[in-house]
Amino acid sequence: MRKTIVVAVREYQAAVRTKAFLITLFAMPVLMGGSIAAQVALKDKVDTRDRRFAVVDYSGRLFASIETGAAARNAEYIFKGDGEDRRQARPRFLPTLIEASSEDRDQVEFELSEQVRAKELFAFVVIERDPLEDAEGGDEPALLAYHSNTPTYEDLRRWLYGTVNGAVGHMRLVSAGIDPDIVEEATERIGIDNLGLLTRDESGQISKAEKTNKAVGFGVPIGLMMLMFMVVMVGASPLVQSVLEEKMQRIAEVLLGSIPPFQLMMGKLIGTVGVSLTISTVYLVGAFIALNYAGQGSAFPTHLIWWFMLYQALAVLMFGSMFVAVGAAVSDMKESQSLMMPVMIIVMAPMFVWTSVLQAPSAPFSVAISLFPPATPMLMLLRQAIPPGVPGWQPAVGIAGVIVATTVFVFAAGRIFRVGILMQGKGAKFGEMVRWALRG
Amino acid sequence: MRVSTILATVCSCGVARLGSLVGKARPDGSRLQAESFAHNVDCAMNVVEIENVTKTFGQHRAVDSLSLAVPEGSVYGFIGPNGSGKTTTLRMIMRIYHPDPGTGTIRVLGEESYGAAHDRIGYLPEERGLYKKMKVRDVLRFYAELKGLRDFKGAVDVWLERLDLVEWGGRKVETLSKGMAQKVQFISAVIASPEMVILDEPFSGLDPVNMDVLRQAVLDLRRKGATVIFSTHDMAVAEKMCDFIFMIYKGKKVLDGTLDGIKDRYAQDTIRVRLTERNGELDRLPGVEKVTDFGQFQELRITPETITQDVLAAVMNVGRVLHFELARPSLHDIFVRIAGPDAEEAAAESVKQEAALA
Repeated sequence: MRKTIVVAVREYQAAVRTKAFLITLFAMPVLMGGSIAAQVALKDKVDTRDRRFAVVDYSGRLFASIETGAAARNAEYIFKGDGEDRRQARPRFLPTLIEASSEDRDQVEFELSEQVRAKELFAFVVIERDPLEDAEGGDEPALLAYHSNTPTYEDLRRWLYGTVNGAVGHMRLVSAGIDPDIVEEATERIGIDNLGLLTRDESGQISKAEKTNKAVGFGVPIGLMMLMFMVVMVGASPLVQSVLEEKMQRIAEVLLGSIPPFQLMMGKLIGTVGVSLTISTVYLVGAFIALNYAGQGSAFPTHLIWWFMLYQALAVLMFGSMFVAVGAAVSDMKESQSLMMPVMIIVMAPMFVWTSVLQAPSAPFSVAISLFPPATPMLMLLRQAIPPGVPGWQPAVGIAGVIVATTVFVFAAGRIFRVGILMQGKGAKFGEMVRWALRG
Repeated sequence: MRVSTILATVCSCGVARLGSLVGKARPDGSRLQAESFAHNVDCAMNVVEIENVTKTFGQHRAVDSLSLAVPEGSVYGFIGPNGSGKTTTLRMIMRIYHPDPGTGTIRVLGEESYGAAHDRIGYLPEERGLYKKMKVRDVLRFYAELKGLRDFKGAVDVWLERLDLVEWGGRKVETLSKGMAQKVQFISAVIASPEMVILDEPFSGLDPVNMDVLRQAVLDLRRKGATVIFSTHDMAVAEKMCDFIFMIYKGKKVLDGTLDGIKDRYAQDTIRVRLTERNGELDRLPGVEKVTDFGQFQELRITPETITQDVLAAVMNVGRVLHFELARPSLHDIFVRIAGPDAEEAAAESVKQEAALA
């Protein structure tokens, strides 16, 4: 045990004392947070060049609505901020009415297309007919035909759709003799609050239910699971390189002169668990501070921290032992890639199903998949973090399963490690690894 | 045929005979070592006892029915061609490999399985490396701790000083030259003052200066009572340093005994002559098995039953004798005789004959 700890301490220091570790530690949230921040920041950094478009109005009375709507939009909606910060964040929509008769419409639309190609116009829209006239036949084309050569730019099309629909609705009401204001009032949508449950405190007072913060409600379970995934990846996967270094630099045999192979492997695994706990502690403390700073301190999943640490230690042992086996079996990094694939698939499996688990945390599928040992650390944790949590027996059974699986994996890896670590030259095939694991 | 003869010879002059041999003066004058060893051997136990151990890898039998006893306080040299089973044997002593089940036992420092005894053994494998990113002192501290040494600072300082590495203590291993790295590796094996050190090719690749430094360090360890087992390809080193020579060839033990004992065993069959006015061929002489011409002199190997007086008389007929000596073969000669191309041919020949008879 003493030797195992000596190895664990060295492994821990070798991992933590590197610049790469610090960079990863801080780059990870910067990258993750950065991509969110970048999206937020770049949301308004859109192309604000004017969108000139032509309107061919065969109804003869809808262009006015488009023109007034666009003017109102250009005056207010496209700007963000107040006072000095006020700046244009969206492009202006500038409609032009094209007079045309239906006889030469092909020619007109071709010319408009040419103008779009020449970038004189951004798009053109054809209003096919008067909306209040009865449609003839069943396969009448849509009222609006929007033509452009940038089909991925949706804002203008959507805006036209909304604006013309509003105008047509208004016209229909007026023609039916109904006051549009009454309809607007009558169809105004009601709100719905998303609340938690009421509690009774010690003095018998029933407290009001708090509004559920959607970001926190979803963020905490997802965040915990993602952190678990990330820590396993960042913490455990370097074991492949570490074992490979000892093997290829011929350090392994020197070590085996002082420590039996299984203890050596356990030392490396325990050191790695330490590394991963360090990473998650840094992030959890960071999240705690951030949440408190944002006034959401109560959202921090304090009740799940010990579960998190326990799951994480076991997950790192379980997946780490697979990485150790890969490192011991191959003879260079390139070779390790192909053997890493199956391990990676097992590690990433929960990533493929977590959305369905999030939607229906107590569905039989969710229960079953979260009791599958390689998925338990991530998915059981996810389910535990989604209110109202899970029945007490499930984490217990899950942990038991993980402990059994981890033991099996660690022992199998120990056997592969013992044989593989002194093998030089060609790497082992998957079948050979299985044979080593079974025969010892 | 030859191998089995030698094997029989070696067995008959095994450890039991050693006591009578160790007191003799050695050709290089290292009587002191031999005597000090004789003192040790009186109250000696065997630190390594291997009995009838076999190790196979797949179809290949790396070590075949091997028995070996290493007395406490001795310097035991393992020799043998590449791939003959030296490293496998050393790894089995270190319990890195286990003998084939049911074949025999290995007892190291009185223990039959991996145990506390391991902390009393220093091991420098042939394939050795260091963590490149670690500093020299950190590496040595790590190995000292692995061996259970708590107060290692003094030991690290002494060894760094001794092997002239003090200024490198704070540098990373990757900055060391190959020779320096090898010295650091040596320190890592002996840092915990082991009772027994196993050194697999400790001197390979070293320049003469560093080789002398390490050789002195090894002899010092032994002077302090440690048992030293080392393997080497350098027969001169083995002759200079070893109390006992053990040779393994194709997995089987072919030599085991003191250097004197081994040389005596081979001494009777080699005659070194120098002639002028030669008028005949030496290899036609009765009883002469083989002639090796060194230019200035010739070595005659004679059959065991040949009487040297008769050879002298015959040689006198071939030319004028300037020099006639019953030579003691060097370890190098013995090695080549056992494992050289001639031995290979003889072995192949006997296999053919056996096949023909069958």
